[in-house]
Amino acid sequence: MTEAAGKTSGGKGFWIVLGILVVGNLGLSFFFAPRQVELQHAPVVQLPNFLVVLGKIHPALTVPGKWMPAHVTFTWLIMGILVVVGALGTRALRPVPGPLQNFVEVVIEWFYGLLDQMIGRQGRQFLPLIGTAGLFILTSNLLGNIPGFQPPTANWNTTVALAVTVFIWYNVAGIRKHGFLNYLKHFCGPIWWLAPIMFVIEFIGHLARPVSLSIRLFGNIFGEESVIVILISLAWLVMPYLIWLGIMLPLSLFTAIVQTFVFIMLSMVYIAGAVEVGHGEEHQ
Amino acid sequence: MRNDEPSVLRQLARLSTIGVSLVAATAIGLAIGYGLDRVLGTRPWLTLMFTLFGIAAGFLNLFRDVGMLGRGRR
Repeated sequence: MTEAAGKTSGGKGFWIVLGILVVGNLGLSFFFAPRQVELQHAPVVQLPNFLVVLGKIHPALTVPGKWMPAHVTFTWLIMGILVVVGALGTRALRPVPGPLQNFVEVVIEWFYGLLDQMIGRQGRQFLPLIGTAGLFILTSNLLGNIPGFQPPTANWNTTVALAVTVFIWYNVAGIRKHGFLNYLKHFCGPIWWLAPIMFVIEFIGHLARPVSLSIRLFGNIFGEESVIVILISLAWLVMPYLIWLGIMLPLSLFTAIVQTFVFIMLSMVYIAGAVEVGHGEEHQ
Repeated sequence: MRNDEPSVLRQLARLSTIGVSLVAATAIGLAIGYGLDRVLGTRPWLTLMFTLFGIAAGFLNLFRDVGMLGRGRR
């Protein structure tokens, strides 16, 4: 065993480093243990709650609390980032693009490619929805990896807003494509005497889509965020900090990208299903 | 050409709906039935019926998503 450990490069060094870390960790934790560490991980950006004014119009509109809810603040922050990047990227369009314009073009081209692939010829008209949702979710998820920033997608309200937007949009797209009655007819299935039951079942199935979309995104990001909060609040133990850097950060970067991809991919699948109902459902 | 082989990520996206949508459809069916029961005052019946519809909807979604497995769109 010692031979094998000696042959691999740095085999012994690894154990020495690990030992030093464990000993140092224990020492530090004894040293720092009496100190009270706050579990709260206060957001970096906070705005005073100026929406209290709304409560004077109607008591139901009151926004409680001294500060704006964190997910609202960070939604605005991300909106600001996206607007600024978009404005800077398209401000002076040149035939030979600069670095920022190049980046924006690559992103848009990627979305176009995805839309063409998933929805087909009519896919490009959905770029505003898919592109905005994708970029917003991606920025938000990636922002959540920085301690002190709370991703808005870790709050169910934000993801429900996104999912309901997608839900309404794909139904409206389907109705505009096929007409109202024809679109509803696709809900009823091929057999006429089963139609009332099939309609109810399909209706419930469609309602389940925004729920599952929003819960998946919210659950993943919220769980990841909770683990990060706990690890960071234990940072005085040194070891959790290393776990965060070594395991949680790569994992949460991966989750951020995959969840964004899953969200826009499913939105596109739903839109494709609504727009080309005649083809999609009968062949299955 | 590129439509022939669905990427792993895309299949992952489709398959990750299965678990949640099964539960969500059942829960929504239950919620609709319960709400209708409260409005119409027909205590147990609509809850039962719509829960069954919800379960059916969940399994319909399940079979559709699984049927998509291994087969690309188009």
